Amino acid sequence: MSEEKKEQTQNAQLDPSQWKAGPLAFFALVVAILFFSGVMVKFPDMKWLSAFDFTTLVGKFGVMKELGKSTFVGSGGFGARGGFMFALSLVPGVMFAMGMIEVLDHYGAIRAAQKCLTPLLKPLLGLPGLTGLALITDLQSTDAGAVLTKGLYDDGLITKKELIVMGAWQYSGAGMIANYFMIGSAVFSYLTCSIMIPVTLIFIFKFVGAMYVRLMLNTVYKGDFKNEQ
Amino acid sequence: MSNNQPQPAKKTNNPFDIFIIGARKGLNITLNNLVPNILMAYAVAEVLRILGVMKMVGEIFGPLMFVFGLPGEAVTVVLTAWLSSSASVGLAANMAANGILDARHVTILMPCFFLLGAQLQYMGRLLGVADVPKRYWPLLMSASLLNALCAMLVMNWFFA
Repeated sequence: MSEEKKEQTQNAQLDPSQWKAGPLAFFALVVAILFFSGVMVKFPDMKWLSAFDFTTLVGKFGVMKELGKSTFVGSGGFGARGGFMFALSLVPGVMFAMGMIEVLDHYGAIRAAQKCLTPLLKPLLGLPGLTGLALITDLQSTDAGAVLTKGLYDDGLITKKELIVMGAWQYSGAGMIANYFMIGSAVFSYLTCSIMIPVTLIFIFKFVGAMYVRLMLNTVYKGDFKNEQ
Repeated sequence: MSNNQPQPAKKTNNPFDIFIIGARKGLNITLNNLVPNILMAYAVAEVLRILGVMKMVGEIFGPLMFVFGLPGEAVTVVLTAWLSSSASVGLAANMAANGILDARHVTILMPCFFLLGAQLQYMGRLLGVADVPKRYWPLLMSASLLNALCAMLVMNWFFA
């Protein structure tokens, strides 16, 4: 959108005479009124209506049932309030994990990983070694990995088929390390095995998925790549 | 996750400073990504519980999820994973807190959150950006689904 157009739309939004309200808008208004008014909990025969009530969904904070055992999250919390307290309890773990990963990355852990990965690329995925950096980057940041991959293809360093195989490797379990330690940490306390096992499995299956795609490209989609060497 | 913010002009070599940079990224991502996602997952879980959807889905998909050593309700977690990793992890945490899933079930689901994770988002952020031809997107999605299902089987048989 050009600057000028943007300005026009902004002006239109500021001028009340230009506001448009279709049937959907009025429906939304009715929903808003019903949702916030508390009317929806007033029907004892139809308990399910309370699923559309603000006060019900906002939920409750957990309570500290056992002194000396309960954390600030408490137990029995539900709805938005319960979720918020639970999510808040994850902050220190994520901050600590990300801090450590940043330090280890600074000392070259990622570069070492790239060195280990490169010899596997050709036999397993049929990819040249120079794709290693883009793939390793994807483990940390999906977006950065995608940009590097596009760069390789634009520079003519990889073929279309190799691009698709790289896409497959990156797509399943994208941003693996960052996501696993940031998001997955929410349920680390439940794991019955070492926290390294699921993440290793994800890494292995990234190869499995890409090998499956490579196989499909070489068989089912064979005709598409006739003109490529 | 976009943790590739532009580096500050002055690059530090002090490990403590570097730790702080990483921890700050972690804080930003938890507050801006994890907290809103989990809050939403908890609210949605409440809606599903009140409407009885969870119970119904559990009964329908019970036999299917049994293959993976999971209760039928776990299918909601798997389906949510396709939309958002954090929402599915939040949902799993919620179900575990409510006793619908136990520790073993969460362990089995763990690789699935990410192997199937946020495919909808990554279509734009990864496949779109890298210019992977659209014709092959379904193939790539089927590969992710296959990965997730196989990983759950492996977790069920060997590790959980």
